[in-house]
Amino acid sequence: MDEDDAEPMTAEQSLALIARQRERTRRELGVNPARLLAVWGVAWFVGWGLMYLARPGENSSRFPLWIPAVVLAVGFAAAIGYSIYYGTRAGRGIRGPSNLAGAMYGWSWTLGYAGLTVVNIRIGKTGLPWDTTSLLWTGSSLLLTGVLYLAGGAIWSDKLQFGLGVWMIVSAAASVFSSVPGNFLVLCLCGGGGFLVAAAVYTVRGRRPGRG
Amino acid sequence: MTEQGLPQLDPVIHAQARLRVTVALAALRAGDSITFPRLQQLLEMTAGNLSTHLRKLEDAEYVRITKAHEHRTPVTLVELTLRGRVALDEYTRALRRLLDVTGNGQG
Repeated sequence: MDEDDAEPMTAEQSLALIARQRERTRRELGVNPARLLAVWGVAWFVGWGLMYLARPGENSSRFPLWIPAVVLAVGFAAAIGYSIYYGTRAGRGIRGPSNLAGAMYGWSWTLGYAGLTVVNIRIGKTGLPWDTTSLLWTGSSLLLTGVLYLAGGAIWSDKLQFGLGVWMIVSAAASVFSSVPGNFLVLCLCGGGGFLVAAAVYTVRGRRPGRG
Repeated sequence: MTEQGLPQLDPVIHAQARLRVTVALAALRAGDSITFPRLQQLLEMTAGNLSTHLRKLEDAEYVRITKAHEHRTPVTLVELTLRGRVALDEYTRALRRLLDVTGNGQG
């Protein structure tokens, strides 16, 4: 069945076909990061929210610190697992420069956070007060997250992702100007909240037809 | 209207199946290629049908087909050539002109 034999298309039908196929390809190939951001958003929001409520360093702790610690560990493990799944799915069947860019970007997160962990653990062991160490961790994590979203925005010409990066950097500054446990509230509301807002915007945008 | 006649439509692209293939390939970033099964899945075409149309597009040098090996498994990679990209642009422009000449959707 060669479709050449079919009725010739009119110019209108042809333009409509182009629009339809373009939209479909965009949906299929362009992976929407909404769900990925939502997973991270929930992990940050719930985990850091509980940490704030546990009020580390105060005598009036409402519940033991191990509860938020476990929730954070489980949430982050799930989010990292989902990120890896998302990353491998995104480039399915595609070969070439954008695949390489995606792989290198994925590794940027892993390497960036590995480096940050080494630096912060070392500095934390120099006799810093524990609350300063806490600010070091929150500020640097938000900053690195922000910078990586700036880079992601630059790679994929995605202004929303770049905007999320700017927001995370502003949050990083806000977190070090607050004191413990306020920094955990910044991680929860600005960090987790930022992810969730971005996820909502991507969801709305993904439903809207047209525009690549 | 004008005496120039109607714009010519590229017969290679002006066929439903090949138009869809070209549009799908044009969505990839320049330099990127797609595996045959993924393209087939994207277009929901049978392998035979897709091969036939790809061959015609390849003959016109709109599409480059490369056979490679990944972990000893043969893969067929399909990519739109620069020529193919330009052809699709010109085709789309011709359609618009055609609509203008025939009075916006009267034809």
